[in-house]
Amino acid sequence: SFLPDYISGDFDSIQPEVKEYYKVKGCELIETMDQELTDFTKCLQILQKKIEKKGLQIDMIVTLGGLGGRFDQTMASVETLFHATNITPFPVIVIQECSLIYLLQPGKHKLHVDTGLEGAWCGLIPIGNSCESVTTTGLKWNLTNQVLKFGTLVSTSNTYDNSGIVTIETDKPLLWTMAIK
Amino acid sequence: MERAFTPLDCLLPAGNLKFCLLILNQPFNKGHFHCLWSKAALRACADGGANRLYHITEGSQESFLPDYISGDFDSIQPEVKEYYKVKGCELIETMDQELTDFTKCLQILQKKIEKKGLQGKHKLHVDTGLEGAWCGLIPIGNSCESVTTTGLKWNLTNQVLKFGTLVSTSNTYDNSGIVTIETDKPLLWTMAIKR
Repeated sequence: SFLPDYISGDFDSIQPEVKEYYKVKGCELIETMDQELTDFTKCLQILQKKIEKKGLQIDMIVTLGGLGGRFDQTMASVETLFHATNITPFPVIVIQECSLIYLLQPGKHKLHVDTGLEGAWCGLIPIGNSCESVTTTGLKWNLTNQVLKFGTLVSTSNTYDNSGIVTIETDKPLLWTMAIK
Repeated sequence: MERAFTPLDCLLPAGNLKFCLLILNQPFNKGHFHCLWSKAALRACADGGANRLYHITEGSQESFLPDYISGDFDSIQPEVKEYYKVKGCELIETMDQELTDFTKCLQILQKKIEKKGLQGKHKLHVDTGLEGAWCGLIPIGNSCESVTTTGLKWNLTNQVLKFGTLVSTSNTYDNSGIVTIETDKPLLWTMAIKR
């Protein structure tokens, strides 16, 4: 009852019996050559092609997993989010256990944080590049034209005011992260 | 985090610390000078400091050429300036501002350190037996223009590391037990620990 539309990758991790099972059940197996791109990135590229081909109307892409265990693989997930802007026009989020990450492109963003599933903490992480000017509303510790930069200021252990809305304006890519209850 | 170093290591012939030398326009000790000059990775003069260098190395100035001389050049003697110019030293004129020649020389030095990749040569011993399989180099807060490694399965040579371009993850080791990394900007090393 839970058959994926496709499984992609270089297939060095999928267990043989698992691969066989889904193959027999008719799931599409797409082998992508081992390159410098991660399985996540390649999967995203294939997904975008399928979205276009099928003419799907969607609002976002949700990624399950990618934030746990190995630090280098968490960083690889962030790297994929950077590449995602060139792969798909849809927002891509990554969630695992109690964390969500989402890469904000330069500009103004409005996040509704009133689903009831929001945990207490949130943060703004200038991963990959510093941001010269970040302005927020809706956080307990808001920023006004603030520099965010590793070695200067990184917004972690932040939280919300009671408005249910967070706005963020940034001049460079900035990683939003939040708790999931 | 505590960062330990030995301030006078630079005056020890057998000292280990890597440093750059800035010469200012004041008298200095000849003995100190020779030890510092011989070990410095980069040598610079702030304006009239070039006069001091020129005179203290009298008779063998061409063996003591600075990498650059910076300043508003209101103190450097014309013949000294001409000498170093003919010898191919870089002369960087900085406009007269509120900053002193020393400050401006330091600013230029920092740019050159970054450009030459003098900032970071690292040697990691990874032969404790506790190393897990994976490792990575993450340009977490800033991009790195030039990273060079040895000892990894996928080494880098003057490579740009930058989110959106290339991040080294799921790397691993060759069998040498040593990883060297040279980077021009801060770079995060991450590695697996065996359980």
